[in-house]
Amino acid sequence: MNRIIDDLLIVLLLCVIALFVVFMILPLVVAVTMAFDGRNYMGAFPPTDFSLQWVHKFFGDEFYMKGVRTSFLIAFFTMIISTGVGLAAAVALADRDFPGKDLLAALFLSPLVIPAVVIGFALLLFFSQIGVFDGFIRLLAGHVLITIPYAIRVSLAGLVAIPKSTREAALVLGANEWKAFWTITLPLAKTNVFAAAIFAFIFSMDDVAVSLFLSSVDAYTLPVAMVGMMRSAFDLSVAAGAVFLMVVMTTIMLAADILFGIGKVLTRR
Amino acid sequence: MTAEVLEENAPASRLNAGRILLLTPPAIVLLLLLIIPILNILDQSFRTFQAGRVGAVAGGGRTLQNYLELLDSAYFYYFVETFRISFIGTVISVVLAFPIAYLITRLRSQFLRGVVAGGLIGIISVSTLVRVYALLLTFGAVGFGRPLSSLLGVTMSSSEYTEFMVLLGLVYFHTPISVLILIGSIQAINPRLIEAAQSLGAPRWKSHLSVTIPLALPGIGAAFVISFAVCVSAFVIPLILGAGRVQFVSNLIYSRFSVVSNYPSGSAISIVLLITAVLLVIILPWIFSKIFAKSPIFARVQK
Repeated sequence: MNRIIDDLLIVLLLCVIALFVVFMILPLVVAVTMAFDGRNYMGAFPPTDFSLQWVHKFFGDEFYMKGVRTSFLIAFFTMIISTGVGLAAAVALADRDFPGKDLLAALFLSPLVIPAVVIGFALLLFFSQIGVFDGFIRLLAGHVLITIPYAIRVSLAGLVAIPKSTREAALVLGANEWKAFWTITLPLAKTNVFAAAIFAFIFSMDDVAVSLFLSSVDAYTLPVAMVGMMRSAFDLSVAAGAVFLMVVMTTIMLAADILFGIGKVLTRR
Repeated sequence: MTAEVLEENAPASRLNAGRILLLTPPAIVLLLLLIIPILNILDQSFRTFQAGRVGAVAGGGRTLQNYLELLDSAYFYYFVETFRISFIGTVISVVLAFPIAYLITRLRSQFLRGVVAGGLIGIISVSTLVRVYALLLTFGAVGFGRPLSSLLGVTMSSSEYTEFMVLLGLVYFHTPISVLILIGSIQAINPRLIEAAQSLGAPRWKSHLSVTIPLALPGIGAAFVISFAVCVSAFVIPLILGAGRVQFVSNLIYSRFSVVSNYPSGSAISIVLLITAVLLVIILPWIFSKIFAKSPIFARVQK
């Protein structure tokens, strides 16, 4: 009897897992396929013929392209600022203990716990009250805030892994703190610093919630443009945009892994 | 030895000055972009709403009105719905994730294990909006929405099917994360314990029920807490898949800004959501630790 229950459960389990795998992969397949739909209306899946019309429409539409440009610019500046500021915080936190260190570390990571919508709403109201209406500045500020916790965490993990004796050896041999940082600490932590930078870039490109609040008519990111299109037009150019976003992010991550080996940061414990 | 000498000789003030210098930029960012804006909405949440005004009148008095109106059934309903749908979504995610995580840890080939885990990480790292849109296409009118809704016995435009779409979204996002969390805790279980139970005559299902699951409870708890806390503050999933019919608290905040421009009310809902999210992260693990400590099976296996 128990054998039968065992066997039945195993079969049931395998079915559930097979269904799960299909559930995970199917939507992405559908989205990519629909982006190359040859029909000029939103027909049912699967498409009967294929064309690049939606891709052309996406790249030819100034509304999207403006979003693409803003997204890249914001992600780039967010990456620079977050990595720099995050590394500074991580260096301070990686050093010896000091009073209030745990509290400070918790505070630096707190944007992770706060719902993105609350961050977006609070920043929007604050900027409106102090008179900052420039969409680009607002977006950059919001993206820096939400990426800094990741930058600090990833940099800190790299810095903590460096044996203290290495830096102390440099100090004993006459290097000053500044020189020891640039010649010893930073080169040893560089994989994590690169990873922090890439994460900041990717999370900035990915954000929807905070950006929806902080965008303005002439400064909006690609995801914001796509949400706008999803609501106003039933049009598969959004699918083309989704494929574009997927390709860009995957390329960046693969390139970063090949060039800097940041995959190690994810798998190493 | 040298380290100790160095520590004693190091001029403390110089080190502190350097540290303060390093901590200044992140502190400024957090103060300016997080602490002040949050305190600002806390202040705004006690103000009276005036149509057509961003922020409240400076000299105006304070009121609890914005919080009291949340107790009104129309608003309270958003909170109840958010919690109910999040709870169902989280339970499905964790229950689905457990056997998958278990199977991954039992894969003999390290290569295959890497492929499966890599695939999960790959899917998680696809842009949030892309995944939500992909779900909308797949389970909406363009995809399999019609056959699936008739299979469930509802129409595609019904609120039941919309809720189903939102649930699919939550499960799609949180199952892979739960799997990755559970892999860690299942890997830590000594497989000999399960083998021992089975060689002593326990059928497989019973050995898992009495050994694997109790031992993995801390991991299951962690997966539940993380998924639930993130579900409750979900925004993009209900925004796109909820089609305006199923709305979470986050969406209510967004409409306070985009539709009615009622900032004091939006501030009050934001503060409540913020406190809820923080409390969940603090309270749920505490509850779980209490339950685990009292659970006789867990205590027995722990020994």
